[in-house]
Amino acid sequence: MRLLSLLALLISATPAVAGVTAVTGATVWTMTQPQPVKDATILIDKGRIVSVKAHGSVPPDAVEIRAGRRIVTPALVDAATQIGLGEVGGIAEERRGGVSSGPLGAAFSVAYGFDPDDQAVRQARADGVGWAMVYPDESASAPFDGMTSLVRLGRSEAAVERPKAALVVTIAGTQASRVGGSTAAAWQLLRNALDEAKAYRPGTNGGAPRDQLLNHLDVEALKPVLSGAIPLIVNCDRLADIRQAIALARDYRLKMLIFGGAEAWAVAPELARAHIPVILDPLDTLPDSYDRLGVRPDAAALLHKAGVDLAFSVSAQGIYRSWDAGPSMREGAGLAVAAGLPYEVALGAITSSAARVLGLAPTAGTLEPGAAADLVIWDGDPLEPSSAPVLVMIDGEKVSPVTRQTLLRDRYAPHR
Amino acid sequence: MIALSGFAMAALGHAHPPAAEAAWQPPPDPYPSTYKPSPAPAIVLTGATILDGTGKRIEAGDLVLADGRVQAIGRAVARPANALVIDARGKWITPGIIDVHTHLGVYTLPQTSLDAEASDVTELHDPDASDTWVEHAVRAADPAFSHALAAGVTTLQILPGSSALFGGRSVIVKPIPANTIAAMKFPGAPQGLKMACGANPKQEFAGRHELNSRQGEMARMREALVEAEEWRHEDRADRHHGHGPHRGPPDDDLKEQTLALVLDGKMPVHIHCYRSDDMARMIDLSHEFGFRISAFHHAAEAYKIAPLLVSEGICVAGWPDWWGFKPEAEDSIRENIAFVDAAGGCAMVHSDIPILGEHLNLEAAKAMAAGRRTGLSIPPERAIRWLTSNPARALALDDRIGRLAPGYNADVVLWSGDPFSVYSKPEKVIIDGAVVLDASVPRRPSDFELGRSILSVRP
Repeated sequence: MRLLSLLALLISATPAVAGVTAVTGATVWTMTQPQPVKDATILIDKGRIVSVKAHGSVPPDAVEIRAGRRIVTPALVDAATQIGLGEVGGIAEERRGGVSSGPLGAAFSVAYGFDPDDQAVRQARADGVGWAMVYPDESASAPFDGMTSLVRLGRSEAAVERPKAALVVTIAGTQASRVGGSTAAAWQLLRNALDEAKAYRPGTNGGAPRDQLLNHLDVEALKPVLSGAIPLIVNCDRLADIRQAIALARDYRLKMLIFGGAEAWAVAPELARAHIPVILDPLDTLPDSYDRLGVRPDAAALLHKAGVDLAFSVSAQGIYRSWDAGPSMREGAGLAVAAGLPYEVALGAITSSAARVLGLAPTAGTLEPGAAADLVIWDGDPLEPSSAPVLVMIDGEKVSPVTRQTLLRDRYAPHR
Repeated sequence: MIALSGFAMAALGHAHPPAAEAAWQPPPDPYPSTYKPSPAPAIVLTGATILDGTGKRIEAGDLVLADGRVQAIGRAVARPANALVIDARGKWITPGIIDVHTHLGVYTLPQTSLDAEASDVTELHDPDASDTWVEHAVRAADPAFSHALAAGVTTLQILPGSSALFGGRSVIVKPIPANTIAAMKFPGAPQGLKMACGANPKQEFAGRHELNSRQGEMARMREALVEAEEWRHEDRADRHHGHGPHRGPPDDDLKEQTLALVLDGKMPVHIHCYRSDDMARMIDLSHEFGFRISAFHHAAEAYKIAPLLVSEGICVAGWPDWWGFKPEAEDSIRENIAFVDAAGGCAMVHSDIPILGEHLNLEAAKAMAAGRRTGLSIPPERAIRWLTSNPARALALDDRIGRLAPGYNADVVLWSGDPFSVYSKPEKVIIDGAVVLDASVPRRPSDFELGRSILSVRP
């Protein structure tokens, strides 16, 4: 048995180790059991979880990583982020995730702008994020923002796995000036768009009716939404708009997610009945717009109690969504626990249930046998903002902890 | 010792220009505080883990508050008769949190398109808004104040924004429910001057033919300071020659009055700067005109010039983990605060946006943990300084708040547990010796919340 200390693993830049890896002595949240497995041995082979067993034995030829009672979780699943859409913020030409003019609306996909080499992508991976749904800014054809992409933050490179994973529409008073001047107009234009997509028959010589509002790109993009192949993500906060969204899902038989959902707790049972999950920001509990007067810290707990599936994404006026994706999700989950959400549910909202909400493979965001060996060994409680990864593993291989941030840190660290 | 204000001490140390002549004296505050502390019995909190705000930690300690002041701190201290005794065993006590950088009441919630058109954060008709006082815009009913109080904030500075070179005068308030800013205003607290360097002012004014470069910013700052310097001397000459004993400053000299207070060392200067070179330039400017910079705010690259900031005695307020959101912030690292602290600097954690002001304890926790991971020893009693005694120093209030010591204002937070844990919450918040927030008592809805349907929905 070869024994590698955590430290050695962190320091060495050794290539991936072939054969079986055993993480031992860990407290493991598999996310398929309600409690963590204590003093667990995780066996990993060919990038997949073989088993997670309390006091499990270590095969003689395995490379052992002693976790020293540290907590191990699946790698994080970020349900809504904007990593990879700009090397740095605040510069127009580095915004690669939206449409400021021209005809693209529903058909726009961030996949073409996603850059796996952006520093925020590398930072997110070092912070323990294994999967991310990257969403667009906005399009010139509101209420459509465009298509999200599902991104796999692989060991050496991030890659877009699903370029058109979901369609985002934003219904908000603050956005309403871009479409008809009101959220009322936005809803009617959205319904009209779905109607046009329903009626549209591609390839027919007659083409679309002369007064069709959507061009062929956008109307075709709505087809998989109508068929339920991909979800419609409705970015809205106000109770009245959430009710509109529930009605829309019912009328058009859509698969839907609510993103934002500040006042969603007030219709939690209806959302649960309609199988509409919520991507919630548990950090932001301030009424920063009239759409969000009803925001409350126990929103996650109330939604869960009613049976609504949850995923978390934390904004802080947008900055965390691009620049601190991993730590901010964990902080949000911790705050949700402090406000009454069961711990394992909060952890799920940034791992297994986030994966479910995004439509990833059933084992994604878990450490059950057969799952990709995407895991993080933490230096403390992962839901404490003060904790950080000791080791991040994707597909059974160690992820480099080095980022631009750590290189600057090491260059300027004070002498001790 | 009962400390002289760090600011006052430093101002003495930089006695330039000569203080021999009687400087222009500002008129008494024409917008005085009407704040009255709530009446309160003597309070004894017993058996807590106490962080005193200056680096000391007392286990199973008692804290005695009476007449609005800290009376005693330690183990087995004498308790006044008739005191309200609060069993704080298993809980933690810290000084009230001081948020050195907010825009509460001017970046008012909820934000609307009206704010986008004309915000009350900064007056923007001119890059020099040193004649403006942010207190003249504050909406006392901003719901963010009550959220800050519930998060343990007992003093906060409301600063103008960063789009003007001279953003105007700040105001120090206590986040108590009130209908006027005067009723929240910290009695006797000096106003600060907000300045800003770098990208924000030049981008704001580039389209208006005012300035469009960093050198232009420096030129406008120097021009204003030269004028203020001349004004000070003219004013003194007039006084010396007896031109009207009580003529007072002319009405159109409001800008010069502000900058004269800065040059006289009576108004702390708070500068928004991200880059190390920008901060160094501001330091040179302060040397040229003989004023002292109290703090750099945001200060993304402070860790690169920590020794310079330490030798200048300038405090640094930052976020623990904001980076990348604009080119000036690209090099900010999670260890920024801890590295400034390790160099012996006056490190602070600020909020800037309202939601972070609800979680300053966690913001500090992140900065503390990042420093520890590099091997620095930063126990909680050290990190709490970033939210207490250090911001008190930057606000020139370190003779009154920011520490739990006899004679200091009784601004106290009783936490349910370790204040740096996500699971801990303030149970009681005490300002000037009175319990102003008790988490076990349902909060009375604010005027803003009253009658809103969504707020009366029972989950």
